[in-house]
Order: sequence, then structure tokens, then C-alpha cells
Amino acid sequence: MRYKNLLALSCCAVLALGAAACGSDDSSPSSGGSSSSSTGGGAAKAGGTINGAGATFPAPVYQEWAARFKEEQGTTVNYQPIGSGGGIAQFSAGTVDFGATDSAMKPDEIATAQKKGSDPVHVPTVLGAVTVSYNVDGIEQGLKLDGETVADIFLGKIKKWNDPKIASQNSGAQLPTTSITVCHRSDESGTTANFTSFLTDYSSAWKSGPGTDKSVKWPTGTGAKGNDGVAGCVKQTKGSVGYVEQAYALQNKFTTAAIKNKSGQYVEPSLQATSAAATGVTPPEDLRFSTINSPNPQAYPISAVTFLLVWADACKAGENATQAKLVKNWLNYGLGAGQQVAPQLQYAPLPDNIKTKAQAKVDGLQCNGAAINGAS
Amino acid sequence: MSAVAQRSLRPVSPRRRRSDATARVVVLAFTIVAIVPLVAILYWLIKEGLGAWSSSFFTTDPTGRFLGDPGGIRSAILGTIEMVALASIIAVPVGVGVALYLVEYGKLSRFANIVRYFVDVMTGVPSVVFGLFVYIVLVVTKVAGTFAAWKGSVALALLMLPVVIRSAEVVLNLVPNSLREAALALGAPRWKVILRIVLPTALPGIVTGSLLAVARAAGETAPLLFTAAFVLGSSADLSQRMNSLPLQIFNDVGQAQDRLVQRAWGAALTLVVMVLLLTLIARLIQRRSKLSP
Amino acid sequence: MEAGSLTPRATVRGGRSIHERSPRSRAIDPLLKWFLSGLAALILVLIAFFFIRLFIEAKPAFDKFGYIGFVFDNSWVPSQQLYGALPLVVGTLITSAIALIIGVPVAIATALYITELAPNRVKAPLTVTVELLAAVPSVVYGLWGIAVLAPKLQPAEQWFSDTFGFLPLVGGQVSIPNYFIAGLILAIMIVPIVSAISREVMSTVPDDHKEAALALGATRWEMIKIAVLPYSRAGISGAAMLGLGRAIGETIAVTIVIGNAADIGNTIFSQGYTLAAVIANEFGEAASDPTHRAALIAAGLVLFVLTLLVNALARYYVNRASRPASVPKGMAG
Repeated sequence: MRYKNLLALSCCAVLALGAAACGSDDSSPSSGGSSSSSTGGGAAKAGGTINGAGATFPAPVYQEWAARFKEEQGTTVNYQPIGSGGGIAQFSAGTVDFGATDSAMKPDEIATAQKKGSDPVHVPTVLGAVTVSYNVDGIEQGLKLDGETVADIFLGKIKKWNDPKIASQNSGAQLPTTSITVCHRSDESGTTANFTSFLTDYSSAWKSGPGTDKSVKWPTGTGAKGNDGVAGCVKQTKGSVGYVEQAYALQNKFTTAAIKNKSGQYVEPSLQATSAAATGVTPPEDLRFSTINSPNPQAYPISAVTFLLVWADACKAGENATQAKLVKNWLNYGLGAGQQVAPQLQYAPLPDNIKTKAQAKVDGLQCNGAAINGAS
Repeated sequence: MSAVAQRSLRPVSPRRRRSDATARVVVLAFTIVAIVPLVAILYWLIKEGLGAWSSSFFTTDPTGRFLGDPGGIRSAILGTIEMVALASIIAVPVGVGVALYLVEYGKLSRFANIVRYFVDVMTGVPSVVFGLFVYIVLVVTKVAGTFAAWKGSVALALLMLPVVIRSAEVVLNLVPNSLREAALALGAPRWKVILRIVLPTALPGIVTGSLLAVARAAGETAPLLFTAAFVLGSSADLSQRMNSLPLQIFNDVGQAQDRLVQRAWGAALTLVVMVLLLTLIARLIQRRSKLSP
Repeated sequence: MEAGSLTPRATVRGGRSIHERSPRSRAIDPLLKWFLSGLAALILVLIAFFFIRLFIEAKPAFDKFGYIGFVFDNSWVPSQQLYGALPLVVGTLITSAIALIIGVPVAIATALYITELAPNRVKAPLTVTVELLAAVPSVVYGLWGIAVLAPKLQPAEQWFSDTFGFLPLVGGQVSIPNYFIAGLILAIMIVPIVSAISREVMSTVPDDHKEAALALGATRWEMIKIAVLPYSRAGISGAAMLGLGRAIGETIAVTIVIGNAADIGNTIFSQGYTLAAVIANEFGEAASDPTHRAALIAAGLVLFVLTLLVNALARYYVNRASRPASVPKGMAG
């Protein structure tokens, strides 16, 4: 019967398609821990796959690192940008090999993670700027805003762009009467934590109201997932303002505000201003520090450092030795060659004193009590 | 009698004629309103999605890179094919088996009616709850790793099962009893009658129902969120995370970058074409079969 | 071997007559029966396991907040360990209500048109077209909704909100993703299923009912009002309930267009959240927090129970509709 032939034909077509695609599939074998043989000539490629999840703030630079890391060492890094809260949760649950967060883990989060059998280690990687981006016809780049004004905007107290509070800081600018629409995060976000930390420093109303956290009760505005979601919200809505990492703002050609820093200077987000926020900072032993509201006069006040989360002793926490080694390679790449790549995406590399401490942490990572060897 | 005839032969009043005409227009208008979204979606899919289609769109994986080439959707297409194939391998035999039981053995017994009731219950369960169930039972408990493509297939199979059972039951019921009785009268054992007579006769209908179930499974996102997760690269390894078309679209939807949104449209067009093709083939097979409900 | 011949002495290996089953054959029959019964029983076991497991995992949340507390507390703030699902339940109800209000009349009209008013040649293509709406995956509905429909409707929504601001639930700033858009998309998604079942029910209206009305001089529309609609009422109600069940459980399309704000919005043009959307959005963040995870599973359980109830109700109505006409035999024809 004819339908039987049709059926047989379609089955064969599907199988052929699948076989052809699998045959041409050149990604490394994805079962954990396998290493492919070396390609002749240079150093042996480690191969394998590691899975990570976390902040969207550094996602652009991590994805770029992943692409180059794979070319160099053959290891596939699957980084899922799901927000810092998700990153901490997945890391503590052991469903990923490493986590990523822009906001250091809180004591209760650390306690939850320790139940896995090992301590979490924060490895700072890069610094980025949390821009206040706006999409308003008639307002140019560099609108001057101080912390209290930004807080009032996000509290919903300032409703129009030509509000006297904004106008007083921007004499000479013709501000339109457009209504302000706030774009904020709907997921648990380290970017939110850093942004609200800045707002708390300058606004008592914010401090007693929404406060500082990865996820707060927003008095007004539209929520979106991830830095990319907020960027989408700002892009789509006329008169909107939102907080996004600088790479997202640059890519979408947003106009960003010049924020008043601790020394009274209005500073626009830039690579220099971001780096300035970390110079002279002495981090604590566990490297859980923040660069928000830096006293440096050239610093952009909402500059944030971001961390990769790994286990002090990965094997005790349930990882296998090969995965632990690949993760260590990844960290070494980030603190090594990766630091030169970061500025291309406008992320500031770590100042030397912090980088040395971070490298020491990575060198000290262990597997079942013994140092992890063979890091390239 | 003549009075009744008089009344029923009275001409229709203008008021009634007007309300009849208005009603017809309203009903037609509403019907058009029902069709408009479909036309609009197809229009936008083709308008935005076709622009994303290119040979590299289908042959490269998404790179996840911020600057530079965002890549295509190869891993998503492959992932969907692989996971749905595995789900079908699980769901279709089990579903046809249960339908066979209901039609050949259970019939109207209490047990069979209870099974039918529960199959009905399964049809109404939202797909996200199936995904959650597999998440609790297989992912959180770390049965053979955490996120894995085969677990996604299990969730999809749960979704497909009631659809396959119901459509197979309908078709099997349509096989004329005379066929069965003739074979039995000739001395064939029950199992031979089922496997050699009933099943082959009902096969086109079963294939139709299965293809429709496959089309539905191919479009599901929620169950895969919790089970197969999201990954950029292609792979044939079902024990690891795997990409899929619905997940790829879901990830690209909220993005600010225009080319990523366009990639979402292109992937959506691909998915809709796949689903429509499957539906069309299913209907064609149904049309050609000798049994029709 | 001529199967029809009754030669008493025809034998096969082993000396038995061809009319007797071979021992192997005899063994396979019960085997097959038990195998298939086992598969059927598997379904029951699966559903029971399903329900029990969901309940066990959700219990910590219910223990902490109480059954009433979990469903009726108005505060879903995971970062402060608060899991009152009222905003989610309200969001689910609002979007489903909008979906029914918009979708059911359109679906009934479509079914009416196809069964009663359409020219014969148009019936089949029209049926197929409406069914195609069901083939579009929900993520594609979400994409189209947020990229095309929501931005295009926003000016109209803002105008409506400004003009009719005195009405309850209307007024204020319109957000691009909001309850109304979610309800609208859901309405489009439930039209095929409500229409298909309504159509089935309407096509079972006995012709004599319809002809009797027409013979008494009714116009087409009056005939529909008198004969078709009352007869199909139960079935249409069942269809609407099935549509409701679908709308309640829809996850992906809703989460893309509703804004995902865990608050009860003031107007239908505010952002909201639903039970299904919260599960999809927050499970990643709940991976290491047992209470959060239990709360999400509890939300899933509430969703499951809701759809069970709605579908049971639907089944009851549809079954009532498919019972034979209650017209006494003497009166018909």
C-alpha cells in the first residue's frame, strides 16, 4: 500500500538527516570527563565539557572567553546566563560545575552550599559598569543624575523627565515632558543587588523601602529577565530608564547617564572609570568584596566586580577529578589570557593586587585533599 | 389547521429579516476574527523568519557570543529530532498497547473504564506539570546525572501518551468486528488476530494519531526547561543536556539584539513548518485509509 | 493447506488436528493479555505515583504556610522566604476569564458558521484552518504576542485606559506585557478546541428539530436560536470548560507576554503572574532552596488540581450532551 512506502521513506529521511548531522558534528564529546587525543604539533587539548550557570552581567565576556577557550583547549564551556540567584542556587545544588554571581554569597547561602561537603570559593574575574540607560527623544548622552535622583525615579516619585530635580542638575538641557517608565529585573540578580546597594547609600527612602537585595519589591515599572531582558525593555519603550551592564548598553547604542560619585564628580561609565573603582581596594581574605560607591574621584560609582564560584575541594563536593581539572583550567584562562580579552568588551580587568590573590585561590583548589595537577 | 397554515405562510416581518441578516453578519465576522490571528502569525513568521534563513542558519550551532557571529540553530533542530524520536519510541508502543487492551480485552469492564478515565485525566494535565514531575523524580534525585536529553524525552512521552491512546482506541474500534470474527472462525489464535489482522488494518489511523502526537511534542517548551535544559552545541549524547527548537526560541525571545530576535523568528518558522508538515502527512494518511471515524 | 476443508484426518506435527491450537499458541494468548493489561495498569500506577510524589514534595510548603495560607496569602517574595500564592492564583483566574470572554463567543460563532451557515464548499477548508490554530506551538504564540501584538495594541490599550478610566480594573499606565494581552493570546489558543467540540455537538442536533422550526416559518437565525443552541448548550458548556482547562495550564505563551510581576495588578493592563509561569521562571533559582522548590511544586499541585476539577466538570457536561435526545418517540416525525 502506498502509505507504507511514504512512511518508510520519511523514516529513512529522518534517519539519514540525523546520521548526516551527527557525522558532521564537530563539537567535542559531551560525556563528562572524556579527553580527546591531541591534534598533532602543539600542546595536547584537554577536550571535555564543563557546565556553568549564573549572572547575565558578565555573560558577554564569559561567552567570548568560552569561544576562545574552546579553540585553545578544546573544552566546551556551556554557560547559561540565568541570573546570579540562579547561579548560586544551581552551584549549591551541584547541578553545574561552576557558578557565577555579581553579588557575593550571603552567609546563609554559604551555609547551604557547605552542606555539599566543601566550601564555596569566590574568584573575582572582571569589573563592569552598571549603567543607567535611558531611551528618551530629546535627551542626549550623559544626563547628569545623582544617587538620590536615581532612587526617586525608581521609587516612582519622579514621574516625568522634565522634573525639577533632574533639571537642576542639567542646566541648559531642554528636557521633554515625557513620562518615565522604569525597567527593572524580575529575576534574582546580582546586578540588582549592586544597583540597589548604590541606591541605599544615597537614599534613605530607598534604604527603608525596597532595600538592598538580589530581588526587591519594585514600587514601579516593568520587570524583565536578565540584563538582556531589561535592555530589551529599554529599547522597546519610549521614555524608559533601566539599569544594564555597559556591554549591553553599548551594543544597543543606549544613551547612559553620568552619575555623581562619592567625590561629587559626575562620571559617565567607561572602561577607565570602571577600573578606577577597583584601584586601591584591598579585598578581604575570602575575596567577597564590593566596589560600589568607590571613593576614588575618577571612579564610576556603580562599578561592580563579578565572581566565579567554585568548590575549595571539588571532589568532596561531588565533582569528579577530570571535571575539577577542567574547571581549574577555565579559571586560569580567565585570570590569564582572559584579562586581555575583557577590555575589548569594555569590562575592566582586575588590578594586579586583586589578581594575585585570586590566582592564589585558584592554585589552592583541591581534589580530595590533593592539589589539582596539570593545569595548563 | 387552516389557521396554522395561514400563520406559517405569513411573510417574514422586516424586523425578523433584519435580525436574521445581522446575526449572519456577526457570526461571519466572528469567524473571520478567529482566522485572522492564524493569517497574521503566518504572515509575520514568513516576513521575519524567512530573512533569518540561510545555509549557515541550518548548519551552524548558536555560538552564544555577544559580538560577532551569533550562529544558527543546527543544535536546536537536531535536538528536537532526537528527543522527539526517543519520546515516540517510548510513547507509541506503550500507547498502542494500552489502546489494544482497552479495545480487545478490557472493552466495557470496570477496570477498562477506570483506565479510560485516567487517560482522560492525563490529557488535561498541563505540560509544565509533566516537566515538574520528571524534574522531581529524575533530575533532582540525580538519576544518571542531572539534566539530560533522555529525561526530556520521558517528559515528552508522558505528554504524547494520552493522545496516542485516545486516537488509537478510536481507530481500533473502527476495525469491523466481522474481520476479527472471520479470522477467529478460521482457527487463528487471538494474538494472531490482533497482531496480523487488527493492527495492520488500523495502522494508518494509528500512524495519523501518532504523527499528531509527535507534532504536539515537537512544539512543547515547558517540559524541556526542567529536564533537558539548554545548551549551545550539537550532540548525539542523550545523557547530556540538549538544545531544542522551542527552547532556542524561548531564549532568543526577550533579547534586545535584533539579530537574535530574528533568529527566534527563523527558528519559529522552522518549527512551524515541521509541525505543519507532520500534521499534513498525518491528514493525508488518514484521508487515504479505508477506515475513517 | 485449504483452510476451509474439513478433512478430519488432517494433522500437523505432534499428531494433533489442525483445528486444535498448538501448545505454543495457547501459551501466547494469555501472555499477550497479561502484558497489555499490565501496560494499562501502568497508566493507573503512573498517575497515582504522579499525584503522590507531587504532594510529598509540596508538603513542606503547605506545612510552613498552611493550605489556606499558601493559596490565599498575598505575598510571593522568594528572597524573603515568603510564598503566598494569591497573586499567582488571581493572575491565572484573570487571564483565563479574559480568554473565555473573548474566545468562547468567537469559537461558538465559528462552529455555528461551519455547521449551519457556510456554503458546502467552504466547510472543509474552514475546519482545517481553525484546526491549524491548534498546531502552532505555544512558544510561537508568545513570540508573536510580545514582538508584534503587544506593542501594536499598546496605543489602543492606552486610549481605552484613558477614556474608560472610571471603570473598575481600567485606568492608569498601560504596560506592554499585561494581563489583557495574555488573556487575548490564550483566547486565540483555545478557539480551536472549543470550536471543534462545539461543532461536533452542533452536528448531532437532530434534523427534525431544525426542520420543524424552519417549517413553522423561522428564519435561519431563529432556527439556530430555537433548535440548535438550546440542544447544544450542555456540549458547548463542556467545550468552554475544556478551553478553560487549557487556558489555566498554558505556561510559555503566558510567561512571555504577562510581565512576570508577583503582584496583583490594579488594572487589566498591568503586569501579572500565573501559577504556570512562576514554575517555569523560578525553578532555576530554587535548585538549592528546598522551601522555594516545595513552594513551586505546591503551585504545580494547585494547578494540577484546578485543571482536574475543570476537566471533570467539562467531561460531565460533554457526556450529558452526547446522551440521546430526550424527545419522546411519539412526537418526532
